[in-house]
Amino acid sequence: MGSSYDEVKNALDVPSEFVFIILLPMLAFPLILYLGMKFNGQKFWKENLKEGGLVALPVMAASLVLSLVLIRRFINETSVSDTSTVFSWANFAWFTEGATTEISLYSLNFGLYVDHVTVMLLFVASFLCLLINIFSIGYMNTDEVNDNKNHRFYAEFVLFCSGMLGMVLSDSFLWLFIFWELMGLCSYLLIGFYYDKPSAAYAAKKAFLTTRVGDVFLVIGLAMLWNLFQPYASGGDALAFATVFDHSNLQMLADAGKQGALQLALGFMFIGAVGKSAQFPLHVWLPDAMEGPTPVSALIHAATMVNAGLYLVARMFPIFGDSAMMGEFSDLAFIIALVGGITACMAALIAFVQMDLKKVLAYSTMSQLAYIFTGLGAALWLANSLDWGEYPNKGIVVVAFGAALFHLFNHAMAKGMLFMASGSVIHEMHHAHHDLHHHHHDDDHHDDHGDDHHDDHFDAQSMANMGGLASRLPITATAMFVGSASIIGIPLIGGFWSKEGIIANTWRVAVEHDPRFYIPAFLVLITAGMTGFYMSRMWFMTFAGKPKTEVAEKVHEQTPWIPIPLLVLIPMSLAGIVFASLKSTYFLGYKGYKLGEDGLLEGFLYEMDHIFVNPGTNYLLVLTYIAIFLSMVLGPCAAMALHGGRLDEGQKAKPWMQWAVTLSGKLNDKYSFAGWAEKMSESSFGEALRQRLYFDKYYDMAMMKIVAGFSNLSASFDKNVVDGFAIKTIIEKGGQDSSRIIRSITTGSARDYIMMVAVGTLAIAILLWGVN
Amino acid sequence: MLVSGLSAILFVMGLWGAFTRKNAIIVLMCLELMLNAANLQFVAAGVYHGDTAGWIYTVFAIAIAAAEVAIGLAILLSVFNQHETIRLDDINLLRN
Repeated sequence: MGSSYDEVKNALDVPSEFVFIILLPMLAFPLILYLGMKFNGQKFWKENLKEGGLVALPVMAASLVLSLVLIRRFINETSVSDTSTVFSWANFAWFTEGATTEISLYSLNFGLYVDHVTVMLLFVASFLCLLINIFSIGYMNTDEVNDNKNHRFYAEFVLFCSGMLGMVLSDSFLWLFIFWELMGLCSYLLIGFYYDKPSAAYAAKKAFLTTRVGDVFLVIGLAMLWNLFQPYASGGDALAFATVFDHSNLQMLADAGKQGALQLALGFMFIGAVGKSAQFPLHVWLPDAMEGPTPVSALIHAATMVNAGLYLVARMFPIFGDSAMMGEFSDLAFIIALVGGITACMAALIAFVQMDLKKVLAYSTMSQLAYIFTGLGAALWLANSLDWGEYPNKGIVVVAFGAALFHLFNHAMAKGMLFMASGSVIHEMHHAHHDLHHHHHDDDHHDDHGDDHHDDHFDAQSMANMGGLASRLPITATAMFVGSASIIGIPLIGGFWSKEGIIANTWRVAVEHDPRFYIPAFLVLITAGMTGFYMSRMWFMTFAGKPKTEVAEKVHEQTPWIPIPLLVLIPMSLAGIVFASLKSTYFLGYKGYKLGEDGLLEGFLYEMDHIFVNPGTNYLLVLTYIAIFLSMVLGPCAAMALHGGRLDEGQKAKPWMQWAVTLSGKLNDKYSFAGWAEKMSESSFGEALRQRLYFDKYYDMAMMKIVAGFSNLSASFDKNVVDGFAIKTIIEKGGQDSSRIIRSITTGSARDYIMMVAVGTLAIAILLWGVN
Repeated sequence: MLVSGLSAILFVMGLWGAFTRKNAIIVLMCLELMLNAANLQFVAAGVYHGDTAGWIYTVFAIAIAAAEVAIGLAILLSVFNQHETIRLDDINLLRN
């Protein structure tokens, strides 16, 4: 029955000017670098153009506008009917070999591929890139450490954005990979922005090399995929989506018995995604990547790079869903879900003990991405194993896939905001510390040596130095509050809708189909509660209670530009309810669904009914309430009891946060499990969590053993064989010996030469005579 | 056959002289002797095969030999001007 994506061929043309979504930022890259090198230090460049920030801004704005036009056109042209074309592309011949003959031997085209997944990620990427650009102007340009370096930041930033937009829009796994690597390069450059700081240089190297491990497997996977589809590509790009997703191609592969090879290829590609999205066991780079400036953290961890891995897995959906491959890939789908489940739980555990504000967010990112992987694993399992052409299976598959993608959307919005809010906290802490420090300095010594405030021992990122900021940073606190609520999954706010969907669908697969899925299903359910704990812990440690340092008392919101993206993203995170009512899960999972076709109110009532009252089966209903209890009640209350507290006398937070602060104060007074918490923290388990479960240690050890062993071996080969034998014996000694011999022949006496000529001639004569 | 044998004797005489003599002029003369041995051989072979090509080669070789002698003598003259000697054993600048 027709569960396939073969309507892909009825292509609708995307006007090729939309390629400027990618090209504009790519062209801005050399422009900003050039202008920066030319005008660094000049006033108009620093003041009026913000060292390139205001060159990047219109470019990113133009990209966003073009993206929105494309998205609008896509949504409008999607008709309601099931078989209609929801797919479109524009094609640019890049180079073609043998084009004069009738069938070209090989051609490499670049095309734009637009479908529901593209549209969602395109919006996420271009929207967040613009906001992060605005944020950067506030964050980077007000810190004198960055003076005359910012053009490098903005240049790398726009190149990174063009990499992400290109990856989302490209129409072939090959181009996807090319842009993927472009992003990898830019993330290396951006994480190592403060390359003179050893820890930053180390973190950049670590991020680059760890993702490279995954990328090696991705290349292997792509090569295998190329090999499989080459016979059916008819001279074109064998990795083009149009070739790979084609039902008849997949059918021919299935008839040839190549399902196992295809699963292996997809599995290798999944390892690439694991590296890029920082999943177990290639997750170690992400926390260290926090060495980069905060806008970079927001860019890499929320908007773009970590989503690339998810996008790659989501792109495999048509292959999993094709009827030719039915039931063949359930193992791979399970592995995807399992990796997700393990990472979700592990990252949440490690996040319990992190004191660095940005590192909590980094682990939270890992955990939430793992949720999406689990959701995708479940959706891929369902798509692969069910005959989903008909009702009700179709609805199940669509909602499972859509829920995972919807969580990607919600998480990107919330986490982008959280990172920018954390940047705001850190920035204002820096400022307060600097003012305080500078002030004392002037009083005591009266010298003008401006200290570099990065050099002293005050850690502006540590939550141990914060506390009580809710009243001092009202906009930031609100943004953190809403973002945390969305990540935790407080009912009716952003992440709730999608997270419920992921948990429910994983359980559905486990209970109804494949008992192996009980492992990821349990893990994601527990993680819901743990998310509630660590996100609340972060918020209450930072914003509630009394200020823990003198610096925290002096903090206030003063930097321009920074609040703008926060104010834009707060409603975006809260708007999850609107997107849910528009039935975004259907739109994202289902090619034929038109966004909001059922009407906003009906959609809202349908979703409410579907989650709280009648989710189909009883166990799903029980599950929903367990998840809500864990994430909304148990986790946050435990965090409040441990880390909550009232603000100082006379300080008052905004009313929508004040109740939480007061509640946390009450809970903290009544049950502060201080002794127990201390005991836990001092136990070997607490220590293991602080050491990030020793992953880095053991990876380092393994690397030392394997890599250092191999290096020593090749070093000794170089020393003994190449230098010792080849160079010393053959080249050096042989050269000396042969020149000594030749010198003894060169007597300088004409008679000897005549003799040599005669003997030589005689020898030639004898040789010729012998030959004849 | 007889002429071929004569030519061989002439060639060996020339070679012997070139090896043993120390005076550069005499070495040059010995070289001429060898050249003319070759010419004789050409003519003999031409007669033997009834082919005029051997004679034509001879005419060319005589012309070239004349030029060679002129150059060789000129070199020896300038060597004598430089070194006051044309003893081959004393002329080994490249070696030292």
